[in-house]
Amino acid sequence: MAQRRPDRTRGPEHDAFWAWCDKGELRLQGCATCRQLSWPPVKACEHCGGAQLSWEPMSGRGKVVSWCAFERDYYNGTLPIPWDTILVSLEEGPLFVSNPEGFSWPQIKPDMPVTVAFIDCEDAAGPFRLPVFAPA
Amino acid sequence: MPESTAAGMPPASRELSRKAAIVGVGETDYHLDYQAARAKPPGYELPTPESLASSAFERALADSGLRREDIDGLSTSFIYGGPSAGEMAQHLGVGPRHLIEGGGIMAGPLPIACAAIAEGKCDTVAMVYAAASRAIGRQYGGRTYDGDGAPSSYYYYHPWGWSSQAAHWAFIWSWYQAAYGATEADLGAVAVQLRKNAQANSNAVMQAPLSIEDYLASRYIVRPLHLFDLCLVNDGAVCLIVRRADMAREMPHAPVLVAGWGEAKAKGDKLNNLVRERLRPQLQAAGDQAFQMAGLSLPDVQHFEGYDASTIHLINQLEGHGFVKPGAGLEFCKSGEMAIGGALPVNTEGGMLSASYMHGWNHVAEITRQLRHEAGPRQIEGVEVSMFSLAQTDQSHPILFARGA
Repeated sequence: MAQRRPDRTRGPEHDAFWAWCDKGELRLQGCATCRQLSWPPVKACEHCGGAQLSWEPMSGRGKVVSWCAFERDYYNGTLPIPWDTILVSLEEGPLFVSNPEGFSWPQIKPDMPVTVAFIDCEDAAGPFRLPVFAPA
Repeated sequence: MPESTAAGMPPASRELSRKAAIVGVGETDYHLDYQAARAKPPGYELPTPESLASSAFERALADSGLRREDIDGLSTSFIYGGPSAGEMAQHLGVGPRHLIEGGGIMAGPLPIACAAIAEGKCDTVAMVYAAASRAIGRQYGGRTYDGDGAPSSYYYYHPWGWSSQAAHWAFIWSWYQAAYGATEADLGAVAVQLRKNAQANSNAVMQAPLSIEDYLASRYIVRPLHLFDLCLVNDGAVCLIVRRADMAREMPHAPVLVAGWGEAKAKGDKLNNLVRERLRPQLQAAGDQAFQMAGLSLPDVQHFEGYDASTIHLINQLEGHGFVKPGAGLEFCKSGEMAIGGALPVNTEGGMLSASYMHGWNHVAEITRQLRHEAGPRQIEGVEVSMFSLAQTDQSHPILFARGA
């Protein structure tokens, strides 16, 4: 069963990100000029403004940097409360806001190693696969 | 038609230091208005930006001792929509030759007004700000931030259920707890201190006593942040009357000179900059600009008013500006150094956490009272220099103020 989620941001660069997710790949935009990664998706490199960007594959490995649990329902019942979120430092550098998969608030520890997983979701635009993180 | 300028903060420069002073201040009745908004007595009418701004303006004008005809500049800052500056001028019954539209949260509008005065566009600017946050049912999370112009961190992460301003501070606080071994009771001390300050402010929205036990028993909004870690949502307005410094002497109150300001924004890697750096690079850079412009240094600051969207973010600013070492901010608060009589009194009116959520304008109103030496039961003895600090999720805008002769 696909999980209902609040709507994604749409647009050419965003749709490209989600298309990679649908193939089970976590890819972020890398800049040909400064070699740095941008996230969330951009039209020009967030570091140097470079326009030549390509979708670079990530290892999917990372560490938990921070976490919080929503006790206030900002999405009118779409998501159960409390709702766990984590901030993952990807091996390649960027910080990625996501959800814990297979663990929750009491098990979250700083710097715990995690690895990406894709779960079936849907929003107003249809089904999609969402990158979340499980204990490594 | 009066000439008008678009918003855009002028760069810090020595030439603009102390060229303008706050000579009038007016605020709405935050405490009474909040009670009325909660109780909704028969005949209660929701406030509008116009009604709030007019009320603050009349008080500021009376406070300044100036006449309506003296107002030759008008700056408007309506956070959630309002009339044009021209319409507001008519509404207030003033005929400014210079209008400054599209202001917003403190700090930007004040340096813009100071620069307009220095450039001779006007001599006396009435700056009106209003926000009817509660009246319009403003939400600070969920799908509020769709659309252009919002920083991506406010809207991008909906599919993961991560949104709201509180979520930013919650990520910082989880990280901070792990990095420095801090506890929830440590952070609660900040909420308790600001409530104590608010108890000496008869216009503060929240004046009931708050203990650490109350704090720990309060509900989580975004765990690990409790209700009392997050700023209020209330309606109100502030008016500041800002005048050319050489025309600000021999007025009813000591002039409050705008001595320096700064601006720094993060480029990329915003979440890392926010959570792990806690804006320190921006706070340092913008602070340096402001101190250089003012010809002052950190030890000169005797009073600090920081943008307390949350308890932890106030600590970020104290640490990031260098008043205390990273990780030492909560101990600083717990040992009473943020109280009046401490090493650096902070948010003496109660801030946005306990006094009023006026987007930094209330902090500058408090600085005005403190530097005039008219803050009554919460006066900091002999204060001459105050610092205001705006810090958002990716940028820093401090302003330094000095008591004028």
